[in-house]
Amino acid sequence: MAADHSGSTQPHQRLIWFFQVLGLLLLIWIALNGLDDLLVGLLAAAAGAGLGAWLVPEAPYPWRPLRWLRFAVFFLWESLKGGLDVAVRALPPRLLIEPTFIDHPVALPAGKPTTLLVSFVSLLPGTLSVELDEQRHCLVVHALTAEGMASVDRLEEKLKRLFAGAPSA
Amino acid sequence: MTASEGLALLLLLAGSGFYFAGTVGLLRFPDAFCRLHALTKADNLGLCLICAGLAVLSADWRIASVLFLIWLLGLLAATVSAHLIARQARQAGADNIDPPEAS
Repeated sequence: MAADHSGSTQPHQRLIWFFQVLGLLLLIWIALNGLDDLLVGLLAAAAGAGLGAWLVPEAPYPWRPLRWLRFAVFFLWESLKGGLDVAVRALPPRLLIEPTFIDHPVALPAGKPTTLLVSFVSLLPGTLSVELDEQRHCLVVHALTAEGMASVDRLEEKLKRLFAGAPSA
Repeated sequence: MTASEGLALLLLLAGSGFYFAGTVGLLRFPDAFCRLHALTKADNLGLCLICAGLAVLSADWRIASVLFLIWLLGLLAATVSAHLIARQARQAGADNIDPPEAS
């Protein structure tokens, strides 16, 4: 697809990608195995990151731990609202739902931001991602009530901030 | 019972409550799409609270980080499978059939 960052990936971009994934995989290794035998973990993480960097289809986005942290807080809060929302709608004697399908035009670039949007929409209160129309760049959302769509806009706003600016070219 | 055990108990009970609500939704909601709502949101929060409760109970950062990983994998599985099931249901035309009246 014709997004800015989906062209051929430059060698130094692959290197950035390698170190981002290496850090992540090492963290997972340490979580699973502790600090013993770190050398084995380092080798395994390097192998995984190397393979990823070799196969990566798009340029990496800049590493923004603070913005990701803020996004995690937003996500936790929305999860809490989502769980409560479903509980409140499912438990009373009369179900409080008016389900509809809504087409949501996606303003985010294709690739990672859109993938994350499609994934997170299902976890937010009142919305479920059903189908991504790649030609129109439009996401079909199933909403328990039409008001639920507000959370998709909020999510898109947050993701836009997360991926703002040109990817490190 | 220590304070941390009390906190863990609260978290575990709340988590079970959300699993319960999700299951009630799964049984009562009228069609596949609505049922997926119940499964993804309520179970996501239920798993989060249960993992948090177990992490508090274990008081061990290694176990806590593994529980965190479990939660992330659970989220990934929930959102991907919900999307695939919903897409399949729509392509099969499940959204054209009038759902039975919710009682």
